[in-house]
Amino acid sequence: MSIFKDLWWFFKLEKKSYSLGILTLVMLALLHLFAPYAVRVVVDKIEAGTLTVEDLLLWTTLSLVVGLATYCFGFLWRIMLFGASNRLGKLLRNRLYEHFTRMSPRFFHQRRTGDLMAHATNDIQAIVATAGEGVLTLADSIITGGIVVFTMAFFIDWKLTVIALLPMPLMAWATSKYGSMLHKRFHKAQEAFSHTNDKVQENISGVRVIKAFGQEEYEKKEFKKLLDDVVEKNIAVARIDALFDPTIILVVGVSFFLTVAYGSFGVVSGEITIGELTQFTIYLGHLIWPMLAFGWLFNIVERGRASYDRVEALLHIPPDIADRPDAVDQVPSGEVEYRLKSFSYPESDKMVLKDIFVRVKQGETLGIVGKTGSGKTTFLRLLLREFDAEPGSIRIGGIPVTDYKLLRLRQAIGYVPQDHVLFSATVAENIAFGKPEATQEEIEEVARLACIHEDILHFEHGYETLVGERGVTLSGGQKQRISIARALLLDPEILILDDSLSAVDAKTEHLILEALRKNRKQKTTLISAHRLSAVEQADQIIVLENGRVIERGTHQELMQQNGWYKEMYERQQLESLVAEGGGTVGHPTTSPLS
Amino acid sequence: MVIRRLLLYLKPYQKRFWIAFAALLLATGADVVLPVIVSHFIDHYLVPRTFDRDTLLLLGGSFLLLQFLSAGLHYYQLFSFQTIAQWVIRQLRIDVFAKVQHLGLSFFDRTPDGSLVSRITNDTEAIKDMYINVLSSFMQNFIFIIGVFIAMFVLDVRLALWCLILLPVSLTLMQGYRRLSSKVYRISRQKLAQMNAKLNESIQGMNIIQSLRQEARLRREFGSLNEEHYRAALKNVKLFGLMLRPATQLLSVLATVAVLNFFGFESFMGTVKIGVLYGFLNLLDRIFEPVNQMMMRLSQLQQAVVSAERVFELLDRTEYAPQKQGEKNPVITEGRIEFANVSFSYDGKNDVLKNISFVAEPGQTVALVGHTGSGKSSIINLLMRFYPVERGEIKIDGHPLQTYDDQELRSKIGLVLQDPFLFVGDVKSNIRLHNESITDEQIKEAAQFVQAAPFIEKLPRGYEEPVVERGATFSSGQRQLISFARTMAIHPKILVLDEATASVDTETEEAIQAALQKMRQGRTTIAIAHRLSTIQDADLILVLHRGEIVERGSHQELLAMKGLYHKMYLLQTYGSAVEV
Repeated sequence: MSIFKDLWWFFKLEKKSYSLGILTLVMLALLHLFAPYAVRVVVDKIEAGTLTVEDLLLWTTLSLVVGLATYCFGFLWRIMLFGASNRLGKLLRNRLYEHFTRMSPRFFHQRRTGDLMAHATNDIQAIVATAGEGVLTLADSIITGGIVVFTMAFFIDWKLTVIALLPMPLMAWATSKYGSMLHKRFHKAQEAFSHTNDKVQENISGVRVIKAFGQEEYEKKEFKKLLDDVVEKNIAVARIDALFDPTIILVVGVSFFLTVAYGSFGVVSGEITIGELTQFTIYLGHLIWPMLAFGWLFNIVERGRASYDRVEALLHIPPDIADRPDAVDQVPSGEVEYRLKSFSYPESDKMVLKDIFVRVKQGETLGIVGKTGSGKTTFLRLLLREFDAEPGSIRIGGIPVTDYKLLRLRQAIGYVPQDHVLFSATVAENIAFGKPEATQEEIEEVARLACIHEDILHFEHGYETLVGERGVTLSGGQKQRISIARALLLDPEILILDDSLSAVDAKTEHLILEALRKNRKQKTTLISAHRLSAVEQADQIIVLENGRVIERGTHQELMQQNGWYKEMYERQQLESLVAEGGGTVGHPTTSPLS
Repeated sequence: MVIRRLLLYLKPYQKRFWIAFAALLLATGADVVLPVIVSHFIDHYLVPRTFDRDTLLLLGGSFLLLQFLSAGLHYYQLFSFQTIAQWVIRQLRIDVFAKVQHLGLSFFDRTPDGSLVSRITNDTEAIKDMYINVLSSFMQNFIFIIGVFIAMFVLDVRLALWCLILLPVSLTLMQGYRRLSSKVYRISRQKLAQMNAKLNESIQGMNIIQSLRQEARLRREFGSLNEEHYRAALKNVKLFGLMLRPATQLLSVLATVAVLNFFGFESFMGTVKIGVLYGFLNLLDRIFEPVNQMMMRLSQLQQAVVSAERVFELLDRTEYAPQKQGEKNPVITEGRIEFANVSFSYDGKNDVLKNISFVAEPGQTVALVGHTGSGKSSIINLLMRFYPVERGEIKIDGHPLQTYDDQELRSKIGLVLQDPFLFVGDVKSNIRLHNESITDEQIKEAAQFVQAAPFIEKLPRGYEEPVVERGATFSSGQRQLISFARTMAIHPKILVLDEATASVDTETEEAIQAALQKMRQGRTTIAIAHRLSTIQDADLILVLHRGEIVERGSHQELLAMKGLYHKMYLLQTYGSAVEV
């Protein structure tokens, strides 16, 4: 129940809704007492033969008024309580989303998307249930139970009340006992279910082996065995689960029996009237629900507790990349300079970059090449502050990147990542993602620069074609070019292409690089690439290996060094020859590189 | 339609079903008789104050007895319906799983693994909820309502007739709620789905959102989706409040008032049976809960129907794996393979294989080399009969491939896959693969043969060493050796090798090469080679490019041609020098 204490801030925030809602519940509980009372009065008068038309009219009118009020109150508390709990869901969801937007890539690398999604969906749902159904059940069972018992005891007969309630603790004891038994068995059933899940997963991933070895029948047999286990475990659950209703039926029935039996003595001895007895049994019926609800409440609260803790823990993780208090509020510009002794990712001992000293003058192009895992991407990510290196080791225009406001730094840099991320929106919206107010002309202009304009025109709805899961399927090269257009639209001071031409054919690559050179005079460009042709024209090329610069210079200089760069260059030329079919099938052998 | 098909699954359990149904009927009968006993007691004994001890004991005894009987019957019916639901879902799962086993690879290529798994497990789970909660709840409540009405008719026919009006009224309420709520419900589900999609996408592309400084805009967009979802949810709460519980409560008050007036006016004209009045009030009090219950289950029913549609859609698929054709039962004895003018296309548009012809004589090794996408894997897919041969012909020992029995094919052709797949179990079970005719001795022999035995015997539990999901505790080289042993354990006549590209440590690599060398001896082998060095001794090397055989010959012949193979060879010798 401590979850209600933790949610107190929200209850305070929604004071009005909660107090009005609970007040309505109290009113409702009181109103519920009325109908049995009216019945009692009328029944007694009928029995005594003293009923008049006026009496009947009076009680009918009163009942109708009360009935209408019940209807309105029943509507009201739902809006109050469930409205508030849904607002809590909305609030937490927004908070979580906002929190996500502040987190650095490290946060997202450490966690699986599925888990983060589960926090925002299942966990919040469980918290909403606690703030809604949980509060309702707690309040309602206390209020209704209390008022009903009070009325029975004080207005009808306290001895009869005691007798009638005698079997009730048995029900509470039994249901809690069943509950804990059910919990254990349910857990086992879940486990069995997850085994079948794993089996199906394995079967489908291994479909080739299964077919090649003709294992289909055996797989079926094994699956059947697992299913038998699931059935067995679930039947064990059903054995307990089916006990709840009959137990309640029995306990309530016995309670009824005791009431009528003992009440009859009271009627005979004149202590209570038949009407009162009738009224009493109706009240008794009203007690079943609060009894049931209490068991249910426990369940809701338990789940809410765990979920709330998870969400809170997530919200309390501070962003590891943030503005300094005295951050410079100006768009970085000028020379890019690396003076990096070493860098390793947090929680890792492995040195990713070591002794990197590079200067890129404004307007120059830097090429970064090397094997997979040599540190190219890390090199670029540090400039973006996706991770932070030692303070002062990376500067733009003489000021450390960590001293700029994050927003300003990002304003200066256009980033085209290795894994192209597009959003479920139209092509135009994707290109204008960083500048939603861009005109169609602007969008088309950058699309032309990125050599994607023609492709887009061939889509069914041109620039309005939807991209993403429910939209058109784009090739890797098309995605890359849209990402490039997206970055170009911002006309950034510094453009970073992180191996973002890999899926583009050599001819198009050449065209895009040409267009960049023409349109980005005076602007700095950093290109990392596998294919060396992408950096051939760069003012400066560095070759990374295991995080160190092993060669540097212009293309011409590097070709004379007889090192990794030269070997790689020649090898790639041969590779493109092979990819073209080597000239043996009559394909033209002209390589765009030669 | 879907519901009828779902109900058909009950057929094998109909006996149990009808017994449970009878128990339900009896229990409900007891439930409605109970208030009747009390009303009889009030009218005939309490009001006239005539207490006959024996009769009272009889009444009291039968009340308690009925109460216990009802509880017992209820337990039986609840348990039975749940059990039946379990058996039904088991059958449904077996059916879907079996169906999937016999579908061809063309189906698997097009269907994402995740969605397939979720149909076999999650969707069937949703259907189970329907059998357990919806079906029994509907029956029980329906029967209960009928029972209550019968009791009413027993008490007073005229009043009971009047009470019948309640039925169309609640039914209209229910229909109205269903119609209105399904729309609101759909909107709220849709908003939730959109919100989740946005969240998912944002989490995955957060670095882009941040680098393009669009956090504020996306927060706004997410916020407005969130707001719309909230509004839809609130609308649902309002509808529920207007049309469900509060409405039935109002209805119950109206009914009570009507009954009171009925008896009140009656009393002006003569005497009234108080017991009957009591009985009616009690019954009216009970009739509305079942109505509420049924309304609450409606959305669950809708959910189950959607899931069932998906499951049935899968059950109705017809892309079966290629099957044996013809009556003959040819046997593979020599292992001579012949491809004659084979062309093939996955999508019916682009040919991935064009006029492939070659012969592998018994015991020969034919190597396939070529760039990614040149068609090497497709040749293996056809030879393994994963896909049907549509144009041209593949013959083994002179008989067309499609005339072979599955069993014959699978036991004579051994496939070694590029990515060796291990099953959860132990090393032994991974080599034997359910084939009971393979003895432990033979398993060890096979492991010995492929040189897997040394490392297996060093494991803490040797051949009983557990294998976890996908064999994650073994190195990729060890996984390959185990999968070699698996193939050799069936002593295939023909070996199909899809050489692994993954790099392994030198020592294991040597073991693998030595094992492959041994495995090929005396067997016709079709091998996909990524490293040309491993197939230099092949009898025939086919160089593929864009689905065609562009060069063929032995290693030396091909080198002399100075064509594509020559270039690939140069590239690889370069590769070892440069090391990428």
